Amino acid sequence: MNRNTTIRTFAIASIATLLAACAGMPGAPSAAPAQPNAPAATAAAPAAADATTAPVASGEKITLRIASIWDATSMEQMQPVLDDYMKQNPNIQIAVDNTAGSGAAVYPDVLKTALASGNPPDAFFMWGGEIAGPFIDADQVLNLNDFYKQYGWDKVYGPWTLDRISRNGSKFGVPYTAHGMGFWYNKDNFAKWGVEVPKTFAEQEAMCEKLKGQNVYCVSIGGKFGWHTMRILDYFIEHQCGPDKHDQLNALTLSWADPCVVASYQSFQKWVDNGWVVPDFLTVSPDDSRFPFFKGDAALVLEGDWYESVLKNNEQDNKKYNFYLPPTDQTPLRFSTFPEQFMISKDGKHPNETAAFLNWLTSPETAKKFPTAFASSATIGANPDCNEWPLTCGLRKEVLDAKSTYPPTDQAFQKELMDGFFEVQDNIVAKKLTPEEGANLMQQRVDEWKAKNKK
Amino acid sequence: MTESLLLPKRNATVATRLRRSWPTLLIWIGLIFLAALWLIPFIIILLTSLRSMNDLISNGVFAWPQRFLPENFAKAWSIGNFSVYFRNSLILILTKVPLGILIAALAAYPLAKMRFRFNNAIFVIFLIGLAIPVQVTLMPLLVMMKQLGIAGTLPALIPPYVVFGLPFQIFVMRGFFRTLPNELIEAARLDGCSEFTVFWRIMLPLSGPALVTLFIIDALGTWNELLIALVLINSEAWLTVPVGLLRFQGQWASRYTELMAGVVISIAPILFIYIFLQRYLVSGLTAGALKE
Amino acid sequence: MTHTRPRRRIRLTPYLFLLPALLWYLIFLGYPMFYSFIISLTDWDGLSRGSNWVGLSNYTSAIFQDQVTILALRNNLIWTAGTLVIPTTLGLLFAVALDQKLPARTLLRSIFYSPAVLPLVAVGLIWAWMYNPQFGFINEVLKAVGLGRFARGWLSMFETALPATFLTAIWTGVGFSMTVYLAALQGIPREQYEAARMDGATGPRLFWNITLPWLREAHVIVLSLAVINSFKVFDLIYTMTYGGPGRSTQVMGTWMYFNAFQYYHAGYGSAIAWIIAIITLVVAIPYVRRMSRD
Repeated sequence: MNRNTTIRTFAIASIATLLAACAGMPGAPSAAPAQPNAPAATAAAPAAADATTAPVASGEKITLRIASIWDATSMEQMQPVLDDYMKQNPNIQIAVDNTAGSGAAVYPDVLKTALASGNPPDAFFMWGGEIAGPFIDADQVLNLNDFYKQYGWDKVYGPWTLDRISRNGSKFGVPYTAHGMGFWYNKDNFAKWGVEVPKTFAEQEAMCEKLKGQNVYCVSIGGKFGWHTMRILDYFIEHQCGPDKHDQLNALTLSWADPCVVASYQSFQKWVDNGWVVPDFLTVSPDDSRFPFFKGDAALVLEGDWYESVLKNNEQDNKKYNFYLPPTDQTPLRFSTFPEQFMISKDGKHPNETAAFLNWLTSPETAKKFPTAFASSATIGANPDCNEWPLTCGLRKEVLDAKSTYPPTDQAFQKELMDGFFEVQDNIVAKKLTPEEGANLMQQRVDEWKAKNKK
Repeated sequence: MTESLLLPKRNATVATRLRRSWPTLLIWIGLIFLAALWLIPFIIILLTSLRSMNDLISNGVFAWPQRFLPENFAKAWSIGNFSVYFRNSLILILTKVPLGILIAALAAYPLAKMRFRFNNAIFVIFLIGLAIPVQVTLMPLLVMMKQLGIAGTLPALIPPYVVFGLPFQIFVMRGFFRTLPNELIEAARLDGCSEFTVFWRIMLPLSGPALVTLFIIDALGTWNELLIALVLINSEAWLTVPVGLLRFQGQWASRYTELMAGVVISIAPILFIYIFLQRYLVSGLTAGALKE
Repeated sequence: MTHTRPRRRIRLTPYLFLLPALLWYLIFLGYPMFYSFIISLTDWDGLSRGSNWVGLSNYTSAIFQDQVTILALRNNLIWTAGTLVIPTTLGLLFAVALDQKLPARTLLRSIFYSPAVLPLVAVGLIWAWMYNPQFGFINEVLKAVGLGRFARGWLSMFETALPATFLTAIWTGVGFSMTVYLAALQGIPREQYEAARMDGATGPRLFWNITLPWLREAHVIVLSLAVINSFKVFDLIYTMTYGGPGRSTQVMGTWMYFNAFQYYHAGYGSAIAWIIAIITLVVAIPYVRRMSRD
């Protein structure tokens, strides 16, 4: 071997390395599917030992990738639904990517990277309001007005859900669920403690005081991601500020340094100081808030229409429970509601098939066939068996009939501003800020956000 | 023979020996106690992972499990999709680690054994890589991978993983090569071997221990890496173990028993390898850290 | 056939060997760093096609205006100070203790080092479980020994969240400095001690005058890496506190991630990343100098 051979070997080795770098995968043997853009991973099939690749559209078979937040229990209910669709449409494969457990905290990030990487899911689950805002503004989802005409969706879903998924007059999502939230309580425990469902805010607070005397916490919160705590704060804002001001605050047309906001923060601090809230809740995860509630250490949780299935899954007797809408002393009595939707990626490869699937998914017929999976459907007329799910039916009636509701604040704000909201809320709880300081800081965050995002 | 820093020279008398050895005894007892403390987290998660939630809620974390529930592991494994995560991490290790070490060894050879003008400068450039935070490459990497069409998939991790492993690996290989006698190389050169042959047939084979050590260290680092994988991979099918574990936590947020089972599953292979191969690990660290 | 090779020809070979590494470095480290710097001078959101030039305003607003960045920097400094003192000193003490002939020495060493091989996500989850307010080991122990009034939500209180996370980092980090110091200690020639003993020196004197100087190099390594890694902290914080409660445990590493990948502020996030890089690169200079000296 002489010098020339050395140089040649090196040149080849370097170029090979360079090419390998460009191709990403240096020709190594691997079990990875050959089509990196279409992995089909069904997240919860119990024997999902390996993710097999569905044959990509080389002819008829299509894979629709759906991103969602379904946890293990939910997937158990959704899988038969998906299987049914696949049976009816043998050329379509549905693959689900789930990011569960942390609510709106982690899933949007995962989604953002998926969209940024140019490899988006065909459809993805999303909450309504401003949480979906960034995706619409960054032009990553399809405008669905045409599909609405095609499928007549305007008649299918509860009216206020359509409002929440619209933006600038166009519709960007298909409402999937409609949720409303109230205080859930254990009827037996209430009898035991000698308290009744309050009708006014004063009665609510009196109830908490009475419970305190019996060493029971009034409400159980899991503050880890901020949004569980926010629900209680939203209730106080509705009570202290009233419907109009509340809406203005959400639209950022009223200053958050307004006295009614200060009063809301003061209410919250009062509840914490009086020991009406479970202690040390700031990094308790929202799911964990159920433990004191089930155990009887706390009287209330502020949860939604999905809670009946939570009760059932945790072996609680749902006949012992009920809910009531938190009294706000305002007219109309509004409560917190929010829809969830499916949006279609702009860069998705099969928009028509995706729309067809979503149409089927949210149709009343499908909901009737799989009542438990669609217990909170936004579709008018889709109700679960009200004998089995009395509480769900009851709350759903309130939800879909409601004329006037308010969204949870995390659907009114984008994440950056929302984190500021959470920051203020947590600081007040921990007494790092007084309510006045908190309100001022909140307005400061609003101003900063507006400046940074040129709104 | 290790000299003790703290003991005065040993005396033959039994009495004095006993009297003088109690500091050591105390130290040893202290160490045992600390070691027990160190192991507590492992013990706790193992115990937690073997119980049922009801047991945990009713009896607290101290109590011995009412019933042992190995089913937790089966459940965590299947629902947690760990087989996929393990597969992905393993593929990554088997492709990335040899590639990275080869590139590093190739670079280390001239840095160790050849004289040329920019030798030291280039070495310094590589060393600086140890201080560079991953964050400063994340956004561009995402864009680059998107342009290459591999964003969101496993191959996207290989280039950044290799590049961040190079500084340490070059340092260690260079250090090791320098210990190899020059006579071997001279002899080979005189025989007419090309440099590449010298490298491939002499230097590499003699570097067995260093290569094994680097392999283990790099494999561990690859298995454990979080941030780059968090940013570049988002589809369930391509998650590596750390990111998968985060998602798993989301799935099981309040079911601590299954959650701990998942944690145990994800660290078991590492601990297994550690127990058997730790001497390579230790020697590699010290070789990289200290000059021989 | 033998003949002397002209000097000019040999010079190509080293570069050929170095080519793959250098190219890789350039493409996947150098270029991204450069590109990242360019992004940091714009207001790019990470997704849209266009962006506007804003010069250094991302940097100035980060350092002088953004309360959270200042908080994050402060947290990093606290973390660094803690890392410089606690795990390193503990590591040294452990190393000194283990340098002696003790039974089960290797086992003890393995135990102390073992946390360092685990993925930090797992470590974070393990310790979050230990800190759990309702079921965690730590609170249970406190209650069991009658110190129940100290039991609290360690990761949920502003005062204790960062220290609690740091304790976890100690558990993970002592092993490394212990290993480095141990290797250094075992490299000290015995004759040094013999000679000093002959001169009448005993225990502490020996340590101070013989051992410590020989550890100088180990110090540089351990301390430099401590600082560099302290500014890169991400995994533990992200897993255990997610920056909370409020934003009190945000560090530069996580704040960069939040800004760049959650708030659609790629430009600003890149500036924060570069601030981290500048700090770690400056700190690394003595370390690199030492390592590259022959």
